[in-house]
Amino acid sequence: MLALLKLLQSLLKELHSDGTPAQIALGAALGAALGLTPIANVHNVVIVALLLVLNVSFGAGIVAWGLFVPIGFLLDPVFDRVGHRLLVETPALTGIWTSWFNAPLVPYTNFNNSVVLGSVVGWVVLFVPIALLVKFLVVRYRATYGERVRRSRFYKAVTASQAYNVYRWFSPE
Amino acid sequence: MRWKGLIPFTLLLLAVVVVWLTLGEVFLRKTIEEAATKFLGTQVDIATLDVNLRDVTVELRGVSIADPFDRMRNIVEAERVHGVLEGRPLLERKIVIRTLALSGMRTGTPRRTAAAPAPRNGFAASTLRSLDAWAARLRKPVASFTPIDTIRSIVLDPTQLATVKRALEAAARADSLQRALTASYRALALQQVLDSARSVSTRLSGVNPRALGIAGTRQALIDVRRTLAGIDSARKRVEALARDARTSVAMAEDELHALDDARRTDYAFARSLLKLPSFEGPDLGGALFGDVSIDRFQKVIYWAEMAQKYVPPGLLPRVQPGPKRLRMAGSTVAFPKAREYPGFLLRRGDVVLSVGGKNAATGDYVAAITNVTTMPALVREPMRFTLARRSSAGVVASIDARGVLDHVGGRIRDSLGVDASGVTLPSFPLPGLPLRAQLGQGTSRIDVLRLGNRVAARWTMRAPGVVWQRTAPARAAAPGFNARNQMEALAIRVIEGIDDLEVVADLTGDIAKPTLNVRSNLDRVLAERLRAVGGEELAKAEAKVRAQVDLIVDQRTAPLRAKVDSLRAEGEQRVAEARARLDEEKQKLDERLKALLSGGGIPGLPRRGER
Repeated sequence: MLALLKLLQSLLKELHSDGTPAQIALGAALGAALGLTPIANVHNVVIVALLLVLNVSFGAGIVAWGLFVPIGFLLDPVFDRVGHRLLVETPALTGIWTSWFNAPLVPYTNFNNSVVLGSVVGWVVLFVPIALLVKFLVVRYRATYGERVRRSRFYKAVTASQAYNVYRWFSPE
Repeated sequence: MRWKGLIPFTLLLLAVVVVWLTLGEVFLRKTIEEAATKFLGTQVDIATLDVNLRDVTVELRGVSIADPFDRMRNIVEAERVHGVLEGRPLLERKIVIRTLALSGMRTGTPRRTAAAPAPRNGFAASTLRSLDAWAARLRKPVASFTPIDTIRSIVLDPTQLATVKRALEAAARADSLQRALTASYRALALQQVLDSARSVSTRLSGVNPRALGIAGTRQALIDVRRTLAGIDSARKRVEALARDARTSVAMAEDELHALDDARRTDYAFARSLLKLPSFEGPDLGGALFGDVSIDRFQKVIYWAEMAQKYVPPGLLPRVQPGPKRLRMAGSTVAFPKAREYPGFLLRRGDVVLSVGGKNAATGDYVAAITNVTTMPALVREPMRFTLARRSSAGVVASIDARGVLDHVGGRIRDSLGVDASGVTLPSFPLPGLPLRAQLGQGTSRIDVLRLGNRVAARWTMRAPGVVWQRTAPARAAAPGFNARNQMEALAIRVIEGIDDLEVVADLTGDIAKPTLNVRSNLDRVLAERLRAVGGEELAKAEAKVRAQVDLIVDQRTAPLRAKVDSLRAEGEQRVAEARARLDEEKQKLDERLKALLSGGGIPGLPRRGER
């Protein structure tokens, strides 16, 4: 329940932040990787670094992570099929996998696991659609309900919390 | 760019490092336990783990590997396992152990808690299940020492006898043949031919050709010749029918001969109902020592199957189940490449094994193992291991073991030899008898050779001081205790008279469906004595059974024999009758023809002999 409230809080703050719709959309598209792919993998360290360093919405990334976790679980069988297809049933790629498998450090990325590879590929494919969809929704929201929500007591209560100050650290400039 | 974001990222990385330094070894220990458990198919426990990154060494303490066949025992325990790893392969996430030293090893120790069973859907569990089925196929029936003198009679159900079933089927076929023969006879249309011949013959009887004139005589000749041709054609059909009849009779007689084979099967079936004991040596050997031999081979085959699964030959990509996690595990694929490091390699391991206690086998043993790998095609050297006693001074017992797992080429070639002498051999019950063999000290040797899917293994065991312990003490202590019958008493007496037991078990053939052959000096002696005492009674019982089968079979097959006789007789009679009638009519027509042509003086008509 607390996690859901936190998620709602983050979502509201992000929608009313100073960030442009594009920054929020890119943040969400990057954050989707954390939810779609198994979390304990090296590529997600890179994703977190990008979310922190790039001028994109970190909050949107965290919200997207939370939203995409259940989707990731649901899509695991599809990711497994895709990964298996690429790893085992595509002889043209075997040379690449073999060189990666025998290269220093690369095996620690778990690229040779069907779910990891399938989900990363899935995320890459979905990156642009997610970004475009989020951008469209943010623009629509701000143009329609945004101002009304900003003036509501509920919004003020949420944004008054201490956590908001910490959060603003990583809001887009 | 938002460079201040590097601060929390650095803090995050530091947190990861701190967590690794505090909990990393626990995590690593759990990972090693999980991987080893999966690899060996049985629970592996590690008490502590120390990793020294500077020297690239690992030290494990309190390592125990549960026995997959007995969850309350450890197959082996090691107080300390010290491994020196190579650094560069670790960058490729591969483990190459330069040397591994195991010390403080004990075997067959009891566990405080039962080991977790192998996951039901895992390879180890399915291998164990298939090995149970494998062993069940090899098991011989328990030796029967049924008292032959108490065999009176058996109640045979005629429908169970193969001869009766076949006789009924054959009778149906004989009926069918008879119907076909009758139909064929009708299809000859003999009556029409005969009627036609009779009519022509009657019409021309006593007729003078001169009275008929040229045209009339010519027409009469044409009629006679056409009728004769009809008779010839009918005769051919009759001959064909005769051939068919002979074939039908021959088929029916074959069915009768086949009944004799079926009768032999029925003798064996009826004999099995009596549960007569077999006095053949190999049968007795398999029945008495089959179980204990299968137990030995089953363990060897289990490890051979595990080795085949996890140490496959060749360099093709290998698909394994992925790691356990909240998300779907998926599958992890290894892509071996020539002249690269394998996923796992133990170049050399030295094991010091201590056997405690105060028996002949007590002492220190040294084992060496080389080239243990998951990708033998990359190592290009077979895995070898040896085990020998460190010091033989004043020693009675010795254990020598050596083995080679050669999965380098495309075809598996494994061999194993374990020779133990002066060791305490296990005790085991004799199936079907109230006796337990206490083997005491002796020698045991097992040799296994596996080539692809073929296996040839031999287990030899010699116990020069075997003691036979009765396992029915209450019954044995009771006044007037006697074995259940004369045969069992004889068997017990013979067995108890043997104090030097030698068993040889051979397992050969396809590894999935091998043949087990067990023989011993005991079963040879036992067979001779049983045959001498029980042979006569056995012969009587068998004769009684045969008589009973003969009685039923003769009763049930009599109708078939009658049918075959009737078929033969009917066929012969119909053919003979048809031939006679046709011949008779043909003779008459020939006479008419002769009369028509004997006129000689009618110009324009053919002469005699110009038919």
